[in-house]
Amino acid sequence: MANSSRMSRRNFMQQSALWAAAFSGAATAMPGAAFAARDKELNILCWEGYNSAQVLDPFRTSTGATVKAESLTNDPTMINRLRAGETNVWDLINVNNPWARKIMAPEKLIKPLDRAKFEPYFDKMMPAFKAPYKWAMDDAGAELLGMVQRFGPYSFVVNTDKVSRATAEDQGWNLWNDPANDKKYGILESDDWNVFCLCCIAGFDPFKMHSDEEVAKFTETAKRVFKGAKVVGDIATMNQSLVAGEIDFHLTGGTYSASPARADGHPEIRGITPKSGPMAGGKGGISWIEVTSQVNNPDLSPLADQFLEYVQAPDVAHKVAFAEGTFNPVAQMGNPDCFSLFTKEELDAIQWDSLEQEMAGCAEYDIVPDYDKLLDIMTAAKREASGG
Amino acid sequence: MRLGHGERSAIPVVLFLLAGFAAPLIAVIWFSFMPPRSFSFGGAPTLENYRTIFESSSYISFLWSLGLAFIAVVVLALICYPVAYGLVRVFGRWATLLTLLFTIPLFVSENIRLYGWVLFFIKNGVLLGTLKSMFGWQLESILFTLPAIIFGMVYVYLPFMLFPMTLGISMVPNETRDAAFDLGASRWQVFTEVELPLSMPGITIGFLLTFVLAVGAIAEAKVLGGQQVIPISHDIEIAFTYAQNWPLGAALSVLLMLVVGVLVILALRRFDLDKFLGRR
Amino acid sequence: MMQSLPILSLKSVRKMFGPHAAVDSIDLDIAEGEFFTIVGPSGSGKTTMLRMLAGMDTPTSGDILLRGERINDLPANKRPTCMVFQSLALFPHRTVGQNIEFPLKIRGETPESRKARALQLIDLLRLPQSYYGKNVLKCSGGERQRVALARALAYDPQILFFDEPLSAIDYKLRKTLEKELKDIHRETKKTFVYITHSLEEAMVMSDRIGVMRAGKLVQVGSPHEIYSAPNTRFVSEFVGDVNVVPVSLAKDGLLHVAETGARLKPPAIPPGFTQGHLVIRPEFLRFLANAGEADNAMAGRVYNEYVLGSRIQYQVRVGRNVFAVEKLRQQAFKGKLDDDVTIGWDAGDAILVTD
Repeated sequence: MANSSRMSRRNFMQQSALWAAAFSGAATAMPGAAFAARDKELNILCWEGYNSAQVLDPFRTSTGATVKAESLTNDPTMINRLRAGETNVWDLINVNNPWARKIMAPEKLIKPLDRAKFEPYFDKMMPAFKAPYKWAMDDAGAELLGMVQRFGPYSFVVNTDKVSRATAEDQGWNLWNDPANDKKYGILESDDWNVFCLCCIAGFDPFKMHSDEEVAKFTETAKRVFKGAKVVGDIATMNQSLVAGEIDFHLTGGTYSASPARADGHPEIRGITPKSGPMAGGKGGISWIEVTSQVNNPDLSPLADQFLEYVQAPDVAHKVAFAEGTFNPVAQMGNPDCFSLFTKEELDAIQWDSLEQEMAGCAEYDIVPDYDKLLDIMTAAKREASGG
Repeated sequence: MRLGHGERSAIPVVLFLLAGFAAPLIAVIWFSFMPPRSFSFGGAPTLENYRTIFESSSYISFLWSLGLAFIAVVVLALICYPVAYGLVRVFGRWATLLTLLFTIPLFVSENIRLYGWVLFFIKNGVLLGTLKSMFGWQLESILFTLPAIIFGMVYVYLPFMLFPMTLGISMVPNETRDAAFDLGASRWQVFTEVELPLSMPGITIGFLLTFVLAVGAIAEAKVLGGQQVIPISHDIEIAFTYAQNWPLGAALSVLLMLVVGVLVILALRRFDLDKFLGRR
Repeated sequence: MMQSLPILSLKSVRKMFGPHAAVDSIDLDIAEGEFFTIVGPSGSGKTTMLRMLAGMDTPTSGDILLRGERINDLPANKRPTCMVFQSLALFPHRTVGQNIEFPLKIRGETPESRKARALQLIDLLRLPQSYYGKNVLKCSGGERQRVALARALAYDPQILFFDEPLSAIDYKLRKTLEKELKDIHRETKKTFVYITHSLEEAMVMSDRIGVMRAGKLVQVGSPHEIYSAPNTRFVSEFVGDVNVVPVSLAKDGLLHVAETGARLKPPAIPPGFTQGHLVIRPEFLRFLANAGEADNAMAGRVYNEYVLGSRIQYQVRVGRNVFAVEKLRQQAFKGKLDDDVTIGWDAGDAILVTD
């Protein structure tokens, strides 16, 4: 969701540290344990948050294991890493909802969880996640493919001092169809989500095959929207620009991107879920739910199972929700023991007041069958927008 | 064939260079001939990626990258030459050492420095906020515009132009200046006839270094330019990440290397370093 | 009377660097067509003086007159003078021809006339014509000297300045170039002002020599005068090895050597002389069969000899002092090392200096 240039300093430092740790670990462990089973080692491929020390350190301490977590900010990249043969490296993969069920399970990149062991956890989650939860199950509804935790609505963000929440919700995607708004908005660079949003602005559902007519409309919309953008950038740039007044609202965003600004004393920065839109059932917003699955690793670490249970604990779930970087609601907030850990400020940051209503107004993230084509069109449109 | 002792001793170094330098390059070139959106080296070689590029609007990004690099180099030259000249005249042979001070900011990540400039230029930020509160001036912010990008590039690549230029100017023997002046040349003639040609090796190296770096620049357009301009390196990044089209990214990289390589070779021909250094 | 007007006159020229006077109140006239050499050790102020004459520095006080006109503030590029630098300061990015043509190009002459003049100068300087297109950095040290001189001559200056251009050249080539330079001086009839730290070099070429020390001109005269009548110990010691004996004038009219108690017959005594140094050049010392053969004699022991080519120098110990005695090879000392000898000189061959 954040763009990959943010895979910058912090991640670099973390990775360097991990590599350094891995090397020193290897050096000391080598002589006696060259062929030891992977019971003291766990590798996680995830969105940022799960790789934070707050989340991982207690697990490391209690198990004595070497835990390596690499964070990426893009689902397809992670899945391509598994496709490229890294299934024997990773134990857990944390991506958005449709990939486990629709792509990774059919391609045998992940393996199912023990239903009896994990299904009870869903009962303690918020009502929407009651078992059998669609995105955690395979197509047949027989196998449990992963556990859920973080989620959120993700459409666009406005500075409510400039555009009221009511206006934004009513106008919805049409904000980008009004020529008067040229150069008043930014675009949060997040190419897959940008594609979804452009489809919505163009007036059709992103999560289906598109007709030539729709593709033409998409092309025109992409060019126009990028041309009218004052700035395209990452989350920090968007929030800064909103706060400073460089822009009034930005495309692609929600609690995930707005929460850092809100937590930083800018409640006027707010994720908006449009009241209506082109998605099934006239829904106007799009939401995401992360699913964490076991990789189909021939030598899977037994700690994978343990880690999935570990993050279900109320205090750990709270840490995941407020890990460094961005702040997000977690499904475990359905458990009063977990919910009680959230302060009023934290609830404000993640727009708890409207969360349920927003999620109800959202279609869930899904695979776009002709994504590659639309992305190429959008990339070209971006480039051509800079040509003028 | 038998290898002499020297050749045999060189084998580890040669292998290291091959592994560290040639291998990745060959991998990128090979990958550029793989079928679009594939992830292995095993596919049937194809020119498909190059066809895609030539049929697309990628030329815009190439032109932006080359154009921005060109402007940045010209602006850098105009700024750095007088500064380097002054440094050498004032500090003599310490000038080169002194320019190393300009490299200290390189210890801070480029992104962080550029974000610093965002805070400087942004509406109500350091610059505009101060002007507003002190003079009541309400100016349009230049953030997310072309001048901001060029500013960023000039800022980031300044040491890479200044250092070789200072070195070049300090290589001009003082007595050749005096001699030209003594032989009747005006200050301007001393500059054009002696100082400029004699400092040309440094200037050329500065030009090439900053040009090659600037062609590959990406963060300036992203951070300060708000992606109002998409340089070719950004296109390559998109191909390797969001688009997950490694062969296309590889093909773009190969083309960029070719374009830059050809330009550098042409420039080196035009400004023959050996000739300037008197080796020919 | 126009003939007698000096081409270059210095009137109380002084150059201060902070509190230090690099050039201290120099008065000097240089005649048209003269080869004038300023000699001095490094730090004596000779380069500073030359730079003021060439227009690359301005005097702190005093006047520099060119044919009677004050040129203190005339910059180097406006003066009808030209300098050959110690480093030669050739333009390394230019060919021999381009270097020589530089002043002509600056003056805006056509390429044809430039080339013709350059080839003339290449001839004058005894370089092959094919060198016209040669890279200067490919030239040998001696060839570069000639190119530098040709370039300066191309400027057609009224005065040519030389800042130790031969100092980095090996001995044999330097000797050749010294003579060539003197020939070129004759052929061009220009005024040459040359500085060097080698009095030997100055003697070979110059019409007149000025010896500089600590910013002051201590003696000006012909090479012969400088050699045979140095006015100070400093000047005397500038030409090779000399024997210097501290003396004072005794009441009996002899020179008294305080250290040994010896009494020596003096040469002509400068007016007002009471004490100073007696300078005896090594070639005026002789080996004596008996002490009566010379005005002054001393007993000593030969302890070393140096073959200097055509001459041989002997080191003779007299008490705690060492005297250098030089003989032509054909007049060599017939004895051997550690022989006891008597050496002596005639009173008129020595020189008395006060300083």
